Amino acid sequence: MRKPDVKIVLLGDMNVGKTSLLHRYMERRFQDTVSTVGGAFYLKQWRSYNISIWDTAGREQFHGLGSMYCRGAGAIILTYDVSHLQSLVELEDRFLGLTDTANTDCLFAIVGNKVDLTEDGAAEDQEKEEGSSGGAAGSCVSAKVPKQVKLEDAVALYKKILKYKMLDEKDVPAAEKMCFETSAKTGYNVDHLFETLFDMVVPMILRQRAEGPVQTVDISSYNKQPKPMKSGCCA
Amino acid sequence: MDAGGNTAAPAPADAEDLEATRLFGEEAGDSGGVQKDPPDPGDRDLEETGSKAKDQLPSLLSSLPQSETPSGTCEPWSPTAPRNSPTGGPENGPGGQGGDPSDEDWRSQRKHVFVLSEAGKPIYSRYGSVEALSATMGVMTALVSFVQSAGDAIRAIYAEDHKLVFLQQGPLLLVAVSRTPQSAAQLRGELLAVHAQIVSTLTRASVARIFAHKQNYDLRRLLAGSERTLDRLLDSVERDPGVLLLGAVRCVPLARPLREALGALLQRCTGPGLALSVLAVGGRLITAAQERTVLTECRLDPADLQLLLDWVGAPAFAAGEAWAPVCLPRFNPDGFFYAYVARLDAMPVCLLLLGTDREAFHAMAACRRLVEDGMRALGAIRALAEVAGLYNVPSANAPAYSVQAVGAPGLRHFLYKPLDIPDHHRQLPQFTSPELEAPYSREEERHRLSDLYHCLHARLHSTSRPLRLIYHVAEKETLLAWVTSKFELYTCLSPLVTKAGAILVVTKLLRWVKKEEDRLFIRYPPKYSTPPATSVDQAPHNGFFTGL
Repeated sequence: MRKPDVKIVLLGDMNVGKTSLLHRYMERRFQDTVSTVGGAFYLKQWRSYNISIWDTAGREQFHGLGSMYCRGAGAIILTYDVSHLQSLVELEDRFLGLTDTANTDCLFAIVGNKVDLTEDGAAEDQEKEEGSSGGAAGSCVSAKVPKQVKLEDAVALYKKILKYKMLDEKDVPAAEKMCFETSAKTGYNVDHLFETLFDMVVPMILRQRAEGPVQTVDISSYNKQPKPMKSGCCA
Repeated sequence: MDAGGNTAAPAPADAEDLEATRLFGEEAGDSGGVQKDPPDPGDRDLEETGSKAKDQLPSLLSSLPQSETPSGTCEPWSPTAPRNSPTGGPENGPGGQGGDPSDEDWRSQRKHVFVLSEAGKPIYSRYGSVEALSATMGVMTALVSFVQSAGDAIRAIYAEDHKLVFLQQGPLLLVAVSRTPQSAAQLRGELLAVHAQIVSTLTRASVARIFAHKQNYDLRRLLAGSERTLDRLLDSVERDPGVLLLGAVRCVPLARPLREALGALLQRCTGPGLALSVLAVGGRLITAAQERTVLTECRLDPADLQLLLDWVGAPAFAAGEAWAPVCLPRFNPDGFFYAYVARLDAMPVCLLLLGTDREAFHAMAACRRLVEDGMRALGAIRALAEVAGLYNVPSANAPAYSVQAVGAPGLRHFLYKPLDIPDHHRQLPQFTSPELEAPYSREEERHRLSDLYHCLHARLHSTSRPLRLIYHVAEKETLLAWVTSKFELYTCLSPLVTKAGAILVVTKLLRWVKKEEDRLFIRYPPKYSTPPATSVDQAPHNGFFTGL
């Protein structure tokens, strides 16, 4: 059996597109998904590492298990919907508390999904969003909705999280690197998100292996030699 | 915490129903507010009703468009509406987006089911959008609270060809408005199943607590995504009435050695705190193994098992390995189990492992790998794939058999539930029935057959005059229903069959079932003993959301 080397958890309010993001990355396509029940566990081979990904339900009713999904997580992807401000607010109100059981060196990524729906469009950047409601109305053919969350808001949240976790900005990746805007529908930035994160957790895996087994004892792979340590880490 | 206890007990229906009718008659007479329209022109064939109610009840539905509030007032009731939009579309039933009570399509549905809170806040409607129905639901709340204020509880209203059945479960009110020939007791059974479905995702204690905390809470926020499960549940009642009528689950026909080998495999692959292991395909049971103490102390109710079977059939479990809390309402409506659900080897065969330890995901995942390895060793995967119709049977995801297999000409369909099983098997009430074939391939025909089965069932189990045997010549088929100490049987025969011919067919069928019973039913449900979960799970928070 493949033993996961690191755990990544997707958190966020319902309907922000967590399952779609993961599906886009794993299956390379977008499809209408149904509301997730509880959490779904996936194993992804990345280079020589096994990365486990928990796709969780955004519905409140499953919050009871949130801390279980996050236990020992190496990275947490906090997802919101760029066309829905409340979904960003919820991240701080409801989801941040669930991350208390994650590793102390857990990475946080903040992801604004559904940029394809907004007037700014996927490729656009932040500069002109003040005037975009007027300007974009003429250029957009399809029914776009105004973008409600700016990337700066996500950056601000990231800094709040660091404060909450009592982390020093110097010790963690910069906010600009950890805030993403994606579209699971078009695939925009999705690979970049996951692969950036995967690259960042690899050193964590190596550090963990160097420190030797911690906290948990895995009985099932007891008689199996762990993979050679240095293989495939030459990124 | 005592939510649901009060009115839930299925008391002898008839007396109270009549009472309710009378009460409603008074109510409508007094207030007069509801009766604006003339009686619905479609509602002519009356079956039984109080004289006053007769004129007024159809107007419950037909008057609503007039009293409907402008959409603006509905807004505060739907804070989640905008965010529901991505999933909102497909979740609306055949009734479409509108759901306007004045809409002909909406009104012509055979059966409506509504769930609302005590405060009258809409939670679920089988057809149409709940937003459009707030006024309708307001009327229902008014009816209920009016009768309540007289220290009574409304149970049913008979209005021409419509039956309205009310069921109060704690802070939730469930209403069925039906023009099927189903009895009020049967409709109540359906409402109980709907309620159980809601409880299974939230627990009764949570529902009670939420509403105690905030009376006008919008429960849809917590149930988002469950609407489709409720739709499917109600659809299945119409299409496949056996489950609810007989209170039993349906097994996949399987050679006994294979079934027993799979049962033994589940027995071997256990972990601490594991209470129930189920193998299912297409919503039907392959085998289920239960923890011994769970089994003897609290029997697994077939309704709970069916709920699990429906649950794991949901598209949400199509990919990955899922870990989710689930409540078994009959077993303990106030606590959660934790369920591991995964498809085996990318097959439609689904493994469900139910335990009490909320942290046991990885232990359960290890169990699954053992089950998978064991199944490969048994060569069971291919056999099950055949059963599941992956290779040759055209009707996929309905692992079943044809009525032709019985070899009794004239027999079109049947439902058979054995009652003579030894006591230690009874924790798994099962039934069997063949696939519905022509002439029951179209929806109307299926509904007709379902209605006939419901009628026969209601008469066999009538509280005032129960029957053992009914021979019923209907317009397009002849039916024979028979209940003995050994079985309960409903058969549907060709309309040209004679009484003697019908007896012959039934004799043949009974002989066939006897011969095939090892294949049709799980004869020896496997059991195992597992040590209790290491982590004490009955923590005070169990069954509650920490998020609220």
